[in-house]
Amino acid sequence: MKITIAGAGEVGSHLAKMLSTEDHEITIMDIEPKKLESLSTHYDLMTFEGEAASVRNLTEIAVQRADLFVAVTPFESVNISAAMLASSLGAKKTLARIDSQEYVENPELFEQVGINSLVYPEMLAAKEIVQALSTSWQRINISFANGKLRVLGIKVRKDAPMLNQQFKTGFLDHARFRVVAVKRGSETIIPGGDDELLDGDIVFAICTEENLEFLREQAGKKKFPIRNVMIMGGSKIAVKTALFLPSQVKAKLFEADEERCRKVAEWLPGHLVINGDARNIDLLREEGILNCDAFVALTDNSESNILACLIAKQFGVVKTIAEVENTDYIPLAQNLDIGTIINKKLIAASHIYQLTLDESVLNVRYLPSSEALIIEFEAQPDSKVTRRKIRELHIPSEVNFGGYVRGGKGYICSGDTVIEAGDHVIVFCAAAVARKIEGLFS
Amino acid sequence: MNKDFNLRLVLKILGSLLWLESIFIFLTALVSWIYSEPDWIYFVGTGIAAVGLGTAGISIGRNAPKILSRREGTLIVVFTWVVFSLVGLMPFWLSGSIPSFTDAFFETMSGFTTTGGTVLDNIEDLSYTMLFWRSLTHWIGGLGIVVISLALLPMFSFSGIQLFGAEIGGPTKDKIHPKITETAKRLGAIYVILTLAAALLLRFCGDMGWYDAVCHALGTVSSGGCSTKAVGIAYWTSPVVHYIIIVFMMLSGISFSLYYFALKGRWSKVKNNDELRYFFAVFAIAVFVVLLFVVDFGQISNFSVLERSVREVLFQVAAMLTTTGFFLTDFTQWNQATWIILLILMISGASAGSTTGGIKMVRLVIVCKYCYYEFKHMIHPNAVIPITYSRQAIKSDVVTRVLAFVLLYLMVVAFGAMVLSLSGIGFSESIWTMVSCLGGVGSSIGTVGPDGNFSALSDFLKWFLAFVMLLGRLELFTVLLIFTPVFWKK
Repeated sequence: MKITIAGAGEVGSHLAKMLSTEDHEITIMDIEPKKLESLSTHYDLMTFEGEAASVRNLTEIAVQRADLFVAVTPFESVNISAAMLASSLGAKKTLARIDSQEYVENPELFEQVGINSLVYPEMLAAKEIVQALSTSWQRINISFANGKLRVLGIKVRKDAPMLNQQFKTGFLDHARFRVVAVKRGSETIIPGGDDELLDGDIVFAICTEENLEFLREQAGKKKFPIRNVMIMGGSKIAVKTALFLPSQVKAKLFEADEERCRKVAEWLPGHLVINGDARNIDLLREEGILNCDAFVALTDNSESNILACLIAKQFGVVKTIAEVENTDYIPLAQNLDIGTIINKKLIAASHIYQLTLDESVLNVRYLPSSEALIIEFEAQPDSKVTRRKIRELHIPSEVNFGGYVRGGKGYICSGDTVIEAGDHVIVFCAAAVARKIEGLFS
Repeated sequence: MNKDFNLRLVLKILGSLLWLESIFIFLTALVSWIYSEPDWIYFVGTGIAAVGLGTAGISIGRNAPKILSRREGTLIVVFTWVVFSLVGLMPFWLSGSIPSFTDAFFETMSGFTTTGGTVLDNIEDLSYTMLFWRSLTHWIGGLGIVVISLALLPMFSFSGIQLFGAEIGGPTKDKIHPKITETAKRLGAIYVILTLAAALLLRFCGDMGWYDAVCHALGTVSSGGCSTKAVGIAYWTSPVVHYIIIVFMMLSGISFSLYYFALKGRWSKVKNNDELRYFFAVFAIAVFVVLLFVVDFGQISNFSVLERSVREVLFQVAAMLTTTGFFLTDFTQWNQATWIILLILMISGASAGSTTGGIKMVRLVIVCKYCYYEFKHMIHPNAVIPITYSRQAIKSDVVTRVLAFVLLYLMVVAFGAMVLSLSGIGFSESIWTMVSCLGGVGSSIGTVGPDGNFSALSDFLKWFLAFVMLLGRLELFTVLLIFTPVFWKK
């Protein structure tokens, strides 16, 4: 696939890195030669110095032959005009990164001018945060097929019944949920029969809608509703998050800049905006951190976010969420026991990545810090996967079939399962082998 | 940062490259089958040894992590050339065609680096197979071993960029395709087409036999310069052969990317290329100046004599400028004033991204423009004047790198000439030999001139010059990097 990426910022370069290990022809352009330098010496792609919205530059990199054109420069208007130009020059699919809610609400306007998809990373991130708040006992909750199947990441502690039980004893009920991966320290383990779960592991499990409660009990987690949220930072994501919160949840938003506070307060009439630094312990106490259920740190500074979450944990806040844009800090933040980590880049990049897979793929998600992808496939009629039992398919060892949705109901896969055409199948795999399994389904 | 060397991966890649070399060696064994010569045994033996060594390397590095930093890339590229030469010399040495190990190494390194300097007194004594292998080493080395491997071995895609960067010459690396393996394939295809065209033309338009046509095509397009005859191209009296070789020497002095752009119809890229214009301008000027000294003005009206002089000058200037080093005539008989012109041509070399050696035209163009810029700057100290090349402004760090390269090149020439002089070689021969080996030309004057060869040199000097050839072929920095403490420091 020929892919042109305009903008070698964080999203663009992350996407390029992700795709360069696969069999794509990638051209990435930016006006800043500095941003391109390290990409061109370390990854198998072509760089081009030039403006995204220049017809001459676009023709020079042969955008007319591109299968996908991705405009992810920092400027919304540049992205939109570049994508429009690329599409009228002949690019097959185009995507533009945008910054406004109203654009996302009117995708058909953009379809008319040739822009096939819009990405709004801040909104994607905000949705992810709200999701994490509504299911507070989980670190990761990714739902597939309208929530029929869920992939959960849970940190198990001493009191969990599922602890210290070998998989082969059958204690872990495979018909109701299935543990697909375990993260222990910095290591990701694909569990076999002799493995057992230990205190402090992060367990990735797939389960059906009905068995969610059962899994929660097994993991020894208590359910607690979230009523009061503190949000640090008045960034775009923060505002979006507050807007998406269910009406019974009240947020207190801390922002150091007074001007920004006024604006944010105007946008968020139902919530309280406080002018001050959320790392100030007195201020936090004054604003009632002791009664707060969740603390969400969303400033532009990853370090501040991590630190603020640690402070909040000391005050006994059960759920902490930090935006960590510096990918090197993600494993660190996880080890520091910060509940959920949000990274705009990864979210946006995996969203765009989905466009590079073909129609049998419905959804792709990145498991943060584990190199693993979760992909939802739709089995096409007469595809390879429907012909045999899963255990007879000879799939690579890095691939794990999690579950499937058939007739509106979720099921967990076992070795004897035979996938039928039209099933939605959730597959775990290393990023490098994603292409190979794609062939099984189409 | 992983600071330990990923040695197992280095071995694995070297191993798979040896497999590739064994393919070429087995191919050569076929030649002895065609001419029913007994030499096949040495090639089959060497080929099997190469496969064995390659397999050992691959199995050691089987599970090596696929992380390749710049250091490993450098090590791989440099050792590829050394290992290729060590394996490639085996047929010469084992068969007794070149009895001395030192001589065999020199000859093979001279082949792979497309220098074409020889230690053989009587080239015609060697079998067809041996001479074919000699020409084939030129061809393998011409475009670069790694580039050829990238085109042929898909497993390199993950590490290709580090290797490509270390082997391909020139100050800026123009990729012609987003995928490095695809870039290598396209360059390789252009290389093969040029070679085939040269071979067919020499066979059907010139009066060469198939064998000589193929060998000379391999030697011309790779800018190598090994002939199958001791007297060189002069063996063939037909002017057509000479003109064909002149044309193909010049064609292989042009950056291969330009052919690709031309094939793609992107003429503006070709038209705006400064290097191409300077390459032909320098050629034309050099031919004109040399002609002034060579043409016998007393017989100016005699067309055949004039044509012959013009042809010889065209040939010799092209051979030096493209660092091929073929010889049609004994240019040492020419007025000594022409020597300096030829020496400068050998230092400059042709285009970056071609098969030729030397400093490369692009670097000289940038250096000259920079010097002119300094003059302008003295008059208008506050003026901002971009240094442009092919209608694009060059970044100052590129200019610095180019300046450093040119300076280092001249320093290496001076140092090498000193080593040669101290070892008892005459003054002008020292300078000439050094420039010729560093630039991959392979011609020389005096005892090592068109009539002589390198065999008279001491063993020490042969090893030294073999090293110099590798240094020049990999454009100094890649090889010298290994000798810097910074490279080994953890």
